[in-house]
Amino acid sequence: MDYFLQNFPQQLVNGLEAGSLYALIALGYTLVYGILEMLNFAHGDVFMVGGFLAAGVAGLFVTTGVAAIPAVLVVTMMVAAAMGGSGLLGVGIERIAYRPLRNANRLAPLITAIGVSLLLESVVQVQISPAPVLVPSNALVPQIKFQFGNVSTPFVDATLLVAAVLLMVGLDLFVFRTRFGSAMRATAQDREAATFMGIDVDRVIVATFLIGSALAGIGGVLYGLQFARVDFFMGYLLGIKAFTAAVIGGIGNLRGAMVGGLLLGVLESMGGGFISSQYQNTFAFLALILVLLLRPQGLFGQPLTDRA
Amino acid sequence: MAQPKILVLVALASVGLAACGGSSTSGTANAPTKVQIAAEGPFTGDEASIGAGALRGIQLAVDDFNKAGGVHGTKVELVTYDDAHKAQTATTLQAQGISDPTVLGIVGPMNSSVVLASEPGLQSANPPLPFVTESASAIKVTEGGYTVAHRVNARDDKQAALDGQFMIDKGAKKVEILDSGTDYSRPLADAVEAYLKAHASTIQTKRDVATNGQTNFTTVVTNMKAFNADWVFFADEGTETAPLVQQMKGANLKIGQNIDFLGTDGEDDPSIVTGSQGAYLGAYASNVTADPQSVSTAASFVAGYKAKYGATSINDAGPFYGSAYTATQVLLQAIANSPVSNGKISRKDVISHLASDTFNTILGPIKYDSKGDVTNVTIGIFQAQGTIAAPVMAAVKSLTG
Repeated sequence: MDYFLQNFPQQLVNGLEAGSLYALIALGYTLVYGILEMLNFAHGDVFMVGGFLAAGVAGLFVTTGVAAIPAVLVVTMMVAAAMGGSGLLGVGIERIAYRPLRNANRLAPLITAIGVSLLLESVVQVQISPAPVLVPSNALVPQIKFQFGNVSTPFVDATLLVAAVLLMVGLDLFVFRTRFGSAMRATAQDREAATFMGIDVDRVIVATFLIGSALAGIGGVLYGLQFARVDFFMGYLLGIKAFTAAVIGGIGNLRGAMVGGLLLGVLESMGGGFISSQYQNTFAFLALILVLLLRPQGLFGQPLTDRA
Repeated sequence: MAQPKILVLVALASVGLAACGGSSTSGTANAPTKVQIAAEGPFTGDEASIGAGALRGIQLAVDDFNKAGGVHGTKVELVTYDDAHKAQTATTLQAQGISDPTVLGIVGPMNSSVVLASEPGLQSANPPLPFVTESASAIKVTEGGYTVAHRVNARDDKQAALDGQFMIDKGAKKVEILDSGTDYSRPLADAVEAYLKAHASTIQTKRDVATNGQTNFTTVVTNMKAFNADWVFFADEGTETAPLVQQMKGANLKIGQNIDFLGTDGEDDPSIVTGSQGAYLGAYASNVTADPQSVSTAASFVAGYKAKYGATSINDAGPFYGSAYTATQVLLQAIANSPVSNGKISRKDVISHLASDTFNTILGPIKYDSKGDVTNVTIGIFQAQGTIAAPVMAAVKSLTG
């Protein structure tokens, strides 16, 4: 019991930090599902491409561990490149791979999405690097640690958590408090009716992909800074976990995706810390099975629209 | 004036002979028409850093062998099977070699998990396709009774004893034993734990898993901190090590200062220092093969490697570039020793020569026991030293037997 109490706070922080990355990616899954009712399985790879863009920018300005210009500038450019690049990539994927299939049966865009996912992985593997690429995070983020009692966390991990929470709150406000957000929710609720009300549905869908993919791009930057590397396969398992998080929270539901992501991270760290690290991945999927059995619509149930 | 004419004739004749010798279509009774071997390993993917150096070693060995005349004058062609550390990819690629009788053997596969999945298929092929691996160290690799299986590196029972004894000698008290959950990693971690229990009953151990393919190990790091470990032993193929040691540093567990780290053969790799931005400096790693730079008979090989791939190429060569060259030498010598009939060499003969012959390699003579293991192999422990920009794995202990 002592062991549990002593280590619980640290494992909780570990879990929240891991979970905030799941949540950030889960938002993209859930946004697209909410509006188009399709699973964008290429989303994890959009996150990966964001990471590579950030690594590329970092590589331009950092040589042998020293940044040529102030680190804040480099990180800003990394975020800009990753957000912009991933955002445009998401929009491009929608335009080329999903829009022509919008009225096809539901299996068609799902299979296309898997195809796009494999394509992105293969292109990065062949054209950029088959091996992990270094992100020189030591030169870019302060090497300090936050310490509260016996809980300690590196600056970058804590930043990830804070940034993810801020972005999630921002997105929530955008969707529920702005005109464009209403248009998004209207489109999600009934695409035809939204068209009749004068909403440009295509524009809403493009914006949805742009926002979701840009968030994944930021996720890629934060991942690179946290783990000091990116690799072409990094979107695969994280993508599946983020998808799991979205389903646990109730796919299509924004707040559900956020809570689902954080919950998944905490479940994994608690399971890994207090039961067995051997099964750390298993806990995530065990949680998915339990949720699907007991509450198939996810913890938060209805999609983002009905609740508004 | 007569003498120069004779010299010219001799010169012409020797050119003619050389041309005959170098041509694969010379029609000499004892020259095979086509000889291929395959290099297999993770040349892309998560393990590309260990595969790339090995592939260079194999390429160099084939080049050197061909320069020295090849197989009775026939140049050996090298085909590449990039299994990307995936068993399924491996068996698909090997099927190409199995169906082509001029593919006489494989150098590799490198990962124990891939070898274990490949062995039944290679053995049941007709004729069976032999392999000589340069790095697969799992004990089971040569315990299945397969005549196709050979390796030039030591087995994990030897590596485990070396690792366990090293930590005992260094005065370890609490050892966090990690594996990555793979066929290679877990049995090796088990063997080290068993060695510590058998030889130093006062040492406490704790097991955790840093799962292969993951990068977030904060949970495991918290576990090792809670256990108060003074040593971490991590049996890994090298891919998880950089993020792990970096997260240890992030949690104030600094290698060489308040904790020691011992890795295994995949981690005898200076690129981990770069990948972890220096967090790996001071860490130890064992290897199941000798470091060519500390073997006098391998000096010309090291020089040739640098000449071909660049002066600093050794830093990126990974742990197995020397053993890869050695394994290629073994396979090519077995092929060259096999009889040629009608321009063909049979894989069956290559297998029997692998079993019976003694091979001269840069790491010394190699002779296989009935399982396909070498008995007299040098293994050692290395330490990550130098700087982030120019890291080296320096030998700190070696053991032959």
